[in-house]
Amino acid sequence: MIAYAANLATIVAIFGILAATLNFVVGFAGIFSVAHAVFFGLGAYAGAQVALHIVPDALLACVVAAVVAGGLSLCLALPALRVRGEYFVAASLGLQMMATTLFSEAKAFTGGIGGLVAIPRPTLFGVEVSVLPLALVALALILFATALLQRGAFGRTLQALRDAESAAEALGKNVAAAKTLAMLFACAGAGIAGALFALHLSFVNVESFTMDQSVLVMAMVIIGGTGTLWGPIIGAIILLSLPAGLAFVPFIPATEVGAVQQIIYGLAMTLLMIFRPAGLVGDLSKGRATA
Amino acid sequence: MTDEVLRTENLARAFGGLQAVAGVSLSLYAGKVTALVGPNGAGKTTTFNLITGNLRADSGAAQIRGKPIMGLKPWQVARLGVARSFQDLRLFTHMTVRENVLAATETASWFWQPGGGAARRAREDRAARALEATGLAALANARAVDLAYAERKFLSMARILAAEADIWLLDEPASGLDLASRLRFGELLRGATARGVAICLIEHNLDVVTELSDRIAFLDQGKVLAEGDPQTILRDPALAAIYFGDRPQEAA
Repeated sequence: MIAYAANLATIVAIFGILAATLNFVVGFAGIFSVAHAVFFGLGAYAGAQVALHIVPDALLACVVAAVVAGGLSLCLALPALRVRGEYFVAASLGLQMMATTLFSEAKAFTGGIGGLVAIPRPTLFGVEVSVLPLALVALALILFATALLQRGAFGRTLQALRDAESAAEALGKNVAAAKTLAMLFACAGAGIAGALFALHLSFVNVESFTMDQSVLVMAMVIIGGTGTLWGPIIGAIILLSLPAGLAFVPFIPATEVGAVQQIIYGLAMTLLMIFRPAGLVGDLSKGRATA
Repeated sequence: MTDEVLRTENLARAFGGLQAVAGVSLSLYAGKVTALVGPNGAGKTTTFNLITGNLRADSGAAQIRGKPIMGLKPWQVARLGVARSFQDLRLFTHMTVRENVLAATETASWFWQPGGGAARRAREDRAARALEATGLAALANARAVDLAYAERKFLSMARILAAEADIWLLDEPASGLDLASRLRFGELLRGATARGVAICLIEHNLDVVTELSDRIAFLDQGKVLAEGDPQTILRDPALAAIYFGDRPQEAA
C-alpha cells in the first residue's frame, strides 16, 4: 500500500511539473499548445539514453533532458510562434502528430513502438535514490521559478501580450522573443519531467507521449485554474487520483473504470466551465470577465 | 519650422482593389501637434499602421530623425521613440492599472530587465508619475477591465506617458470624453509638447482639433489634400464639403 501511494505521489509530482510548465505558456502567455507531451517525450527519451548508455545519474539525465527538450522547442516552436490564437493550436496539433510518428519510427533514439526498456535505477552522486524526492524538489524549484517570473517584469510582458499583443509590441516589447523564452522555459521543464518519468518507470514508449497525454495535461491546467500558481498542481492531483479512487469503488466493475472515468472528466469540465470558468483555484470574477 | 522628427514620403498601401493610402507625405515636428483630419476611410489609421510597422507599405519611405524605418517591426519602431494609442485602446485588461503602466516601462524581452534595483525603482517612479498625471493614482490596484470608459482612455495615455516616447501617434484619443475629461486631456498634450514631444492626432471632433492642434493635414481617399494651420483648413469650404459628405461630383 505504501509502495502504491509512493508511486502515485511520484506520478502526481511529475505531472505537476508538466501541468505547471504548460500553465506557464497557456495561463500567462496565452499560447495554447497541445503538444506538451512531445517535449515530455523528448526529455524522457534523452534521460533514458543517458541512464542506459552513460550513467544513471538523475541530475545529469535531467540536465540533458532539459537541454534537448528546450533546444528542440526552439527549432520546432520558432516557426509555429509566428502564428497566433487558433492557428497556433492547429500548428501545435500538427507538431504533436508528427512527433508521435517520429517517436514510433526513430528506433535508434526511442526504441520504436517497443520503447526503451531496462532503464537502470537512478543514482545521485553514485548513490541509488528514489525518484519521489527528486520529483518533489524539481516541482518545488519549478513552482518557485514560476512564481518569481510571474511576479516580475517577464510575467507582466507575457500577460501583456496575452491580453493585447499589438499593444505590447507598440510599447517596444519583442513579442516573438518573449514567447520563445516562455516556450523554452516550459519545454525544458517538461523535459525534466520526462527524464524523471523514464527513471521512475524504468521503461518508456510512445504511448506516454501521444495527443491523449497532451490533452490530459491541458485538462489538469484548465480544471485547476489557468494562470494560477497552484491550480495545475490541484488539477494533476485530481485527475490522477480519480482513476485510483474509482478502482476502490465496489459497485464499478474493474472493466468499466475507464469509461466511468471519461464520463466524470467530461462532466467535471462542463460543470466547471459553467460554474467556475477560471478553474478550481482561479479568481472567479476573472473567469467571468474573460467569459 | 521647428525640428522635424518624423517624415513620410509618398507612403502607399492597397488592400486588394482599394487604395487605402495613396502617397501620403507628412512631417511631424518636435513640440507641435499635427491633426490628421478627414472622413471615415480616408486612410488616417492605415497611415499610422504604416509608420509603426503594423502594416507593410507597398511603396514610399518613412524616417525618424533621418533614420529609415520602413521594414522595421512595430517593437523596433517603438524603441526609436514612437508610442501610439489605438481606437479600441487595447489595454492589458486583466492586469491592474499600475501593471499596465509598469509594463510600458519594461521593454527588455529577457527574463529580467537590465539595470538592477536602481533601474527598477526608476521605472516604478516613471509609472507613478504617469498615473499621477492622468489622475489614475487612486485606481492603481484596480484591474483595467473594471475601469469606466474615460478612465480606460486615460490609462491608454498613461502607458504612453510612462513609455517616455518623444513621438506620439494618437488614434481618436478624445472621442467619447466629457468636457472636463477633454480639458484634462488637453493639459496632458500641452505638457507633452512643452517637453518637445511631437504629436500626431487623429480626431473627428473639430472642437478638439481647433483647441489642441498647431497644424492640420486633411486626408481624403488616401491622399493629403491640404496642410496648414487649423483656421485656414477648417474654413476651406471645399474641404468642409468633403468632410461633411457633400463631395463634389467628378466631371463625367
